[in-house]
This record gives sequence, structure tokens and C-alpha cells, in this order.
Amino acid sequence: MTGFLQQAITGLMIGSLYALVAASIVLVYKATHVVSLAHGQLVAFGALFFWLFLGGLGLPFWMGLIPAFFLTALIGLLIERLTLRPLIGQPLIAAFLMTFAIFIALEGVFVLYLKGQTRALPTFLPEGNLDISGLSIPINQLISFFVAILLFAAVSLIFKYTKLGLGMRATAEDHRLAQSTGITVRNIFSYIWILSAVVAAIAGIATANVMDIYYMLPYIGINGLIVAICGGLDSLLGALVVGLLLGVVENVGAAYLDPIVGGGVKDVVGYVVLLLVLLIKPYGLFGLVRIERI
Amino acid sequence: MLTLNNIEVIYSDVILVLKGVSLSVEEGNIVALLGANGAGKSTALKAMSGLLKTELGEVTDGSIEFEGTKIDRKSPEEIVKMGIVQVMEGRPLFEQLTVEENIKVGAYSRNDTDTIKRDMEDVYQYFPILARMRHRVSGYLSGGERQMLVMGRGLMARPKLMLLDEPSLGLSPALVKEIFRIIELINKEQNTSILVVEQNAFVALSISDHAYVMENGRIVLDGPSSKLKENEDIKEFYLGLSQVGKRKSYKDVKHYKRRKRWLS
Ligand SMILES: Nc1ncnc2c1ncn2[C@@H]1O[C@H](COP(=O)(O)OP(=O)(O)OP(=O)(O)O)[C@@H](O)[C@H]1O
Ligand SMILES: [Mg+2]
Repeated sequence: MTGFLQQAITGLMIGSLYALVAASIVLVYKATHVVSLAHGQLVAFGALFFWLFLGGLGLPFWMGLIPAFFLTALIGLLIERLTLRPLIGQPLIAAFLMTFAIFIALEGVFVLYLKGQTRALPTFLPEGNLDISGLSIPINQLISFFVAILLFAAVSLIFKYTKLGLGMRATAEDHRLAQSTGITVRNIFSYIWILSAVVAAIAGIATANVMDIYYMLPYIGINGLIVAICGGLDSLLGALVVGLLLGVVENVGAAYLDPIVGGGVKDVVGYVVLLLVLLIKPYGLFGLVRIERI
Repeated sequence: MLTLNNIEVIYSDVILVLKGVSLSVEEGNIVALLGANGAGKSTALKAMSGLLKTELGEVTDGSIEFEGTKIDRKSPEEIVKMGIVQVMEGRPLFEQLTVEENIKVGAYSRNDTDTIKRDMEDVYQYFPILARMRHRVSGYLSGGERQMLVMGRGLMARPKLMLLDEPSLGLSPALVKEIFRIIELINKEQNTSILVVEQNAFVALSISDHAYVMENGRIVLDGPSSKLKENEDIKEFYLGLSQVGKRKSYKDVKHYKRRKRWLS
């Protein structure tokens, strides 16, 4: 039993990372209805920038964090300005394909910079383990877990209760109608890409906290996308719940099934979950049901 | 306060829809814009509110002035800030938002939090039904409730001029009367000038000070509403009355159109 719980808790910690990546994707969808494939790169570059300032330049935590946010947000803003804004009003598939192209382009830069090597972040969170009745949780992961939860709460509150959040929800529903009420839709697009890039950077830094930065890091975007879709694409709560769930299922599944099938369970579980969820609930677990009146 | 100077509107660079339309709205007035389906009424409103650009439409000739400023190149959100709000045809809502959130979005261009609260109470005074449904998701409202909500949302921008596109569409006669009573009330109490596009010529002429009749992208008739109400052509073709109180046949309608084209 303790073994199972230990695996589940470790899964929760990993799941919070998936949830964060998914959240950054959900944010963009919520305000613009664009499904972004580019976010895996934002996550990776967020981590890389942080490493540059901390590991590369040896700056203290905050002095690394702020510029890392800033630079990742800048990439997000540039993606929006240069590639997506011209596509406003075009079919959404055009924007979707564009984000794929951006993923490929940034992938090139990322791989070129790493040259097959890995980068490890210096420790920036307290070390040690929290031991409760036989379970052991690394304190740095626990901190990152709670940061993720707090971030979810904060972003949800922004969407639900602030004027900007209202503007974003309105814009997501109908660009033209939003404009007719005085919302500057272009600005909403910029703000959401900045916000979502910062969330992606946090996800990247939290991920680099538990594993080295290497060429596969951007592909955590795929996990994020799976989580976002299963959660309903426009639901932050969905992203959180499904993210945590996927982390747990992956980890527990790997612990119990890997010895039987000989490994690799982690890599498949995500797709199996996606398939099952979409078979049962096509709009995702927490997706908005489309309002249809006759 | 608002003047259209011989404007020409083209969609997608080829479809000529407005062929030289001039009209004006005086401050404090209610003005009616009548005309058959496809005459270009909505297009004229969209030209004023800047929404034309979102549909690949463009004002290619003439000018639109609001309080002395040319507005035909301005964006919809700038025009809302200047004081013109269009309540679009078909009563589009933010369906996933609640009634109250829809109303709040209407005030997006403003920053005066206290007065926004007060204006919201005003809206609920005009439309008490909305107050009772404030936390309901708006996508499920009935046609009449939707009409009230889109007008309430429009009011929240504190417009100097409100453009209403077919507020009576598909509503029961009693509700039409009620909506137009409130339009008059808003005009008086909020000092909001109103330009209303209508198929229901009778109510529109009853509450308006001045009216224009549009056909095929041109204004073919205009004058004080009380005068137009007595005009024989209007009586026949918009109020459905002929001299002897019967509907005219289609043949006569065509004849009328031919005559009109000749005149314009
Ligand atoms: N976006 C567009 N692109 C091309 N043509 C358009 C567009 N919008 C309107 N039209 C055309 O312009 C003409 C006038 O349309 P408009 O909507 O202004 O008419 P209307 O007077 O409001 O009619 P109704 O009473 O039916 O609402 C119509 O022939 C219509 O097909
Ligand atoms: Mg129309």
C-alpha cells in the first residue's frame, strides 16, 4: 500500500507539471480559440532562459526568474504579432498549422543551441525530503506542486472576476461582437499570449527542477496538449484534474506494468487516456457544452 | 451630430451596396431608417459603427462625420469610445456568459467604476426581467429577453448615439410596443439619440422625429415622421394600406419601384 501511495504521490508531482503546460495551452484557447502546438517550445525556452541566467551567469533566483519570464513572454508576443495576428478572421486551422510551423522552427534553434548536450539547473529550492509515515516527498517538488496549484487559482480568478478576464471570455466567443462592445481584440490577443507564455515558462522551470534540460524537453508540450484536450480545452479546472490524473496513472501504471510488459508504459498511457476520454466524452471531461437553441 | 455625406460602400472590393447615401441625425432625436430587405440598411449602420471592416466592407466614397470628426477610418472600439454603439441585427449575445456579465461587457470601454454600477441599476430599471435573470447563462434567453439584453448591454457604453437594427424582429405585438416605449424612455431620460432600422414602419414612425426610406442602396424618401406617416406611398408599401384600405397587387408594387427609381 505504501508503495502504491508513494508512486501516486510522485505521480501527482509530475502531474502538476503536465497541468501547468496544459494550462498555458488552455489559456490561449480560452481567449482566442486557437489550439497551440507551439507551447512545448515556450516551456523549453522558459527553462533554457532560466538556466542561462542561473547556471550560465550565476545570478540569484529572482534575478534569473524575472528576465526568464520576460524573454519567454517576448517570444509569445512575437509569435502572436508576427504569425497569428495576420491570420485573425481566417479559418482556425490556419492558425493551428502556423503554431506547428513555429514549433518546428523553434525546435531547430533549441537543438542547435544544446548540441546534444544536457543542462542541469543549479539547485534553487530547498533540498531534503518530507517524510510522513513511510512516504517520502522531495521538498523542492512539493514547493513546485503548490506553486502550480496557486497559479491555477490565480489564473482562474483572473478569468472569472477581472475586467480583463471578462474581455477574454467575451473575445473567445465572438471577435466581432467583442469589437462592437468596445473591446480591442488585438490587445486581448497580445495579453493572453504574454500571460500564457509566462505560465509556460513557470512550467518549464518547474520541469527543469526535476530533470535536466535536454533535446526532448519541448515534447512535454504533447503531454500538455493531451491533458488540455481531455480536460475540455477551455477548462482550467479540467487541465488541473486531468494533468494530475495523468501523472498518477503514468507513474502507477509504469510501476506495476513495466515489469510485466518490459517497460515503456509511461509513453503510451497518455494516448490511451486521450482515446478513452474522447470516446466517452467528445468535449472533454470539463468542456463547455455548446449551447444550441432551436 | 451624425452626418453621412453621400457614402458609397463596397464589399469584397466588388459588391457595390450603398450608392451614395446621405442622412443625418440631430442630437436628441429619434430617427427611423426604413426599407425593404437587402436595401442596405444594416450596411449603413455598420458603416457608422466601423463594423464594416470586419466583413471586408469599405466606405469607398463620401464621408461620415460624428460631432465634427471624420469616423469612417476609425476602428469599432474607437467609435464606441466616441459615443456610438450599434446593437446588431439578430441580437447576438455572449452566450456562455451570464446576463450580468453580458451587461458588464457593454461597459468595457469605460473606466469609471462607480458610475458603471449606477448605470447597471438603470439598465435593470428599464428591463426588470434582466434583474431577475442576472445570474442565468444568457444563451438560453427568449427572443424578447435577448432584445432587452442587447439593448441593456448597448446602454452600458453610455452612448450618445445608439444604432438599433430591427429591434422588433419576431417579437409579439405587445412586446414590440413595450420595447419601443423603452426606446422612447431611454431617448428622453438618458438623452441618447437613436437611429433605428425597422421593418415595422408603423411603430418606427410613431416614435421617431424624422425618417428615411432606403431602396437599393439609395435614400428615396425622407421627411418628418408625422409627414411620412401620411405619405401615400408609405401608407401603401410600408403600412400595407391602399387608399381604399386594401393591399395592392404585386404589379402595382413594381410600378411603384419603377417610378421611384426614376425619381432618385
Ligand atoms: N459581408 C457582405 N459581403 C457581401 N455582400 C453583403 C455583405 N453584407 C451584406 N451584403 C449585401 O448587401 C446588401 C444589403 O445588405 P444589408 O444587410 O445592408 O440589407 P438590409 O437592408 O439590412 O436588409 P434586411 O432588412 O434583410 O436586414 C444585400 O444584397 C446583401 O446581400
Ligand atoms: Mg439588416
